[in-house]
Amino acid sequence: MLEIKPILNSLLRSKAGALMLLIQIALTTMIVSNAASIIFDRIQYLSQETGFPEDEIFSFSVMSFDKTLDLTQKFEETETMLRNIPGVKNASLFNAVPVSGSGSATGLGLQPANERGQDSRAAYYMADENALDTLGISLIEGRNIRADEVIESQTREVFPKVVLLTKTLADELFPTGDALGQTIYFGDMPLEIIGITEKMMGPWLKDSRPDNVAIIPFVGASTFQKIIVRTVPDQRAAIMRQIEDIMLEDHNKRVIVGLRGMDEAKAMYNAADTLMLRMLVVLIVILLSVTALGIFGLTVFNINKRTKQIGTRRALGARKSAIVNYFLVENIIICIAGTAIGSIAAVFLGQSLLNFYSLPALNSLYILSTVVFVIIISVLSVIMPANRAANISPSIATRSI
Amino acid sequence: MLLHYIDLSWRSLKRTPLVSFLMILAIAVGIGITMTSLSVYHMMSMDPIPQKSTKLFAVQLNTTDDGTNWWTQDNVPLQLTYKDAMTLHKAEMPTRKTASMRAGFTVHLNNQDLKPFLSDARLIGRDFFPMFDRDFVYGSAWTTEQENVSAPVVVINEELNDRLFGGSNSVGKQVYLDDNVFTVVGVMKQWDSHTKYYDLNNGAFDSPEPMFLPITLVAPMQIESWGNNNGWKHEAISTFEGQLQSEIFWLQFWAELNSPAEVQNYRDYLQAYLEKQGQLGRYNRTVPEFNLKNVIEWMEYNNVVTSDNKVLLGLSFLFLAVCLANILGLLLGKFLRRAPEIGVRRALGASKRQIFVQHLVEVSLLGFLGGLLGIAIAQLGLWGVRTTSNEYNALATMDLSMLLAAPTIAISACIIAGLYPAWLVCRTQPAIYLKTQ
Repeated sequence: MLEIKPILNSLLRSKAGALMLLIQIALTTMIVSNAASIIFDRIQYLSQETGFPEDEIFSFSVMSFDKTLDLTQKFEETETMLRNIPGVKNASLFNAVPVSGSGSATGLGLQPANERGQDSRAAYYMADENALDTLGISLIEGRNIRADEVIESQTREVFPKVVLLTKTLADELFPTGDALGQTIYFGDMPLEIIGITEKMMGPWLKDSRPDNVAIIPFVGASTFQKIIVRTVPDQRAAIMRQIEDIMLEDHNKRVIVGLRGMDEAKAMYNAADTLMLRMLVVLIVILLSVTALGIFGLTVFNINKRTKQIGTRRALGARKSAIVNYFLVENIIICIAGTAIGSIAAVFLGQSLLNFYSLPALNSLYILSTVVFVIIISVLSVIMPANRAANISPSIATRSI
Repeated sequence: MLLHYIDLSWRSLKRTPLVSFLMILAIAVGIGITMTSLSVYHMMSMDPIPQKSTKLFAVQLNTTDDGTNWWTQDNVPLQLTYKDAMTLHKAEMPTRKTASMRAGFTVHLNNQDLKPFLSDARLIGRDFFPMFDRDFVYGSAWTTEQENVSAPVVVINEELNDRLFGGSNSVGKQVYLDDNVFTVVGVMKQWDSHTKYYDLNNGAFDSPEPMFLPITLVAPMQIESWGNNNGWKHEAISTFEGQLQSEIFWLQFWAELNSPAEVQNYRDYLQAYLEKQGQLGRYNRTVPEFNLKNVIEWMEYNNVVTSDNKVLLGLSFLFLAVCLANILGLLLGKFLRRAPEIGVRRALGASKRQIFVQHLVEVSLLGFLGGLLGIAIAQLGLWGVRTTSNEYNALATMDLSMLLAAPTIAISACIIAGLYPAWLVCRTQPAIYLKTQ
C-alpha cells in the first residue's frame, strides 16, 4: 500500500541525490539539537531572577581627588543629599554593585580562619542600615541592621559584630536551618547572624555560588566610592540624567563614572551570552530554511526528471493521491534514515562539547523534538511540489518528447 | 580557453536563473555565517605582536602552599606578589623585564578649562616600551635614574595628549593625577591593539591604557591596583605597607628572552629564587613551580578565545557543510540534465578532461559569486555582533586576510562539492544521447 519496495528501488538507482539529502538532514539534526540545547540553557541563565527591582536601581562611582577632604563626613552629607532628591526612595554607599561583575568575596566559616578547613564562598556587600531598602530586598527572618551597629572607618581595625545573610548562604552554613543568632567568622572577626534575607545575587552571576551573599554593616568611604540609588521606577531615567551635575554641585573635586541602571549593568555583564544566544538562533533558523529549500529543490528536480513516468502511472490508473503519497513516502524514508544518523551524531557532538567545553549535557528531549521538527519541515517542503506532480496530465505519457 | 569556459559557465547560470540563484544563495549564506564567526575568532586569536610574540614571556611563580587550588589549568596563580614582582624587576637579568600593574587616576590641569576626568593608567618599568615595541611622537621613556628615585613622571598616548594639550609637544608640561603633579616625559604613538595581551585580567579586549607611570611609584604614593587582587590565605592586613609585604597576588610580570639559552638561564634563576624563598619558610611547597609562557601560549592559557567562540566556529563550519550538501544535490540535477548536450560535445571531440574542467570552472564561478555575496552577509552578521556588545566593536570586523579568505573558502568548498557531479557528467557516453535524438 505504501509502495516502499519500488520507492527503495528507485532511490537506489539514483543514490547520489538522495544521499546528499540524507547527509543534509543528518547534519541539520545534529546541529539544531545541540544548538537548541545551548540556547535553552542560555535563556534560562539570562532570564533568572536576581531578586532586585532592576528597573528602580542605578549605580555610579565617585572618584574623589581632594586630599584635604574628610571623606567619611562628606559622603555622609552626600548620602543625605541624595536621599532628599524627589523621586529617590533610598541611597547608600556600597563596596560593590550587584550583578556588575566586580566586587569582593571571601570564605565564611563557623570557626576563625586559621582553625577551620572548608568554608563557604560568599560575596559581601558593605553598607549601612539602608542597604536592604536601597536594594529592594526584604527580610525573611530576624531583624535589619540598626544604625548604631554600623561601623564607619577607613581601616578595618574596628569591625562590625553583626551580619545579614541570604537564605541560600545561611542554609549552606547551617543545613539544619537554625542560622539566626549563630556566630560565623569573617577571617578572624566574629559576626552574629541577625537577619536572613530573601534570595539576591552577588556581583557575579557566573559565580559557583551566585546567591551566597552577606551584608556587613561597614562603611569605609574611599577615594573610589560606589553609590547605589533606588528611585521610583518612572523617574529613574530623569534622575540619572541630573545625577552628575547634582554630585558635582555637592562637591567639585570629584569625577562621576560608571553611571548605569542595574538592568544595563546586568546586560553588559551578560553581553557575551546574549551574543551567543542570538548567533545560535540566527544559525538554526537559516539552517532549517536552507534544509527546507534543499528538500524542495531536490523534489522539484526529481519530479521534472520523472514527468514522463508519472504521466504513464496516471494513464495506467494511479490516483492523484498515489502520486503525492509516493513522494511523501520517499521523502519520509530519507528523513527517517537521516534523522536516525543525525541523532547518533548529535549525541556524540553533545558528548564532546560536554567534555571539551563543559557545556551542559545534551538532553535527549532536544534530539527528539528536533527530529520531529525536521520531519514536519521536510513533509511541508515536499507537499507543494508533490501536488504539482499529481497534476501532471496522463496524456503526457502518450506524447513523445 | 579559461575565458571560454567562464563564458560558457555564465551562459549556463543564466539559462537556469532560479537554480543558479538558489545555489549562490546557499553558498553565500554558508560563507556569511562561517565568516562572521571566523572573523571574530581570527581577531581574537590573532598574534598581537608577531615579530616578538615568541620572545616576550609572562612569568608566573607559585608561592602558595601545596594543595592550594587556583582557577588556572595547572593551579599556578596568574599574578605575582608585590615583593616577588619587585625583586624580579630589580634583578640583573634578563636585560629587559618589567613588573606591570593597572591603576587609574583623576586627570586634570588644575584650572577651570578642563573638566577633571577619570583615566586608566599602567605602572611599569621603562623596559616596557622597547619590549612591546612602543614608539614615541615626542620625548621618550623616563630614565633609569628617574625610575630609581620614583620621580613623578608620566608617558601619555596621542589621544590623551590631544585632549590635554591639543596635540602639541607636551614634553616637560605638567599634569595633575589625583592631586599630585606629574611631568610629561614622552608622548607615545597611539597603540591600537585589540587584544590587551600584556594584562588579560580585566577584559582581554579592552584598549591599552592611555598613561604609563614608573612602577616604583606604587610604594611611595600608595597606589592601589585597579586590577585583580587575589589572596589565598588569611592575612591580617590593615595598612598599605602590609599589603606590599603580603602574599596577595596583584602584579603582572614580563621578561624579554631572545634565545633558548636566555630562556634556560632565566629558568635556572627563577628555580633558584623559588628554592631560596621556600627555604626562608615563606610557603610550604615541596617542588618549586613557575611558568614562563610566551604571548601566544599566554593567550591560550588565559582562554582569550572563549569556548563559546570555538563552539560557534565549529557549528558554523558544520553549517557550511550542510550548504555544500545542498549545493551538491542541486549541481547533480543541473549537470545531469545537461547530459544530452555534453553527449554531443563529446561526440564532436571534446575530451573527458575538458568537460571536467569546464564544469569545475562553472562551480568555481558559483563559488566566487557566492563568496562575494557571502562577504555582504558576513558584514551584516558582524554589524549584528557589534550592536549586541560594545566589547566586540574592534573584533567584529573583517581585515584584508578575512576578505580574501571568504571567496577562497567559497571557491574551494564549491569545487569540492562540484567534483562528483562534474566527474559523473564527463563520463557521459556520447552514443546514448546521439541515438535518442
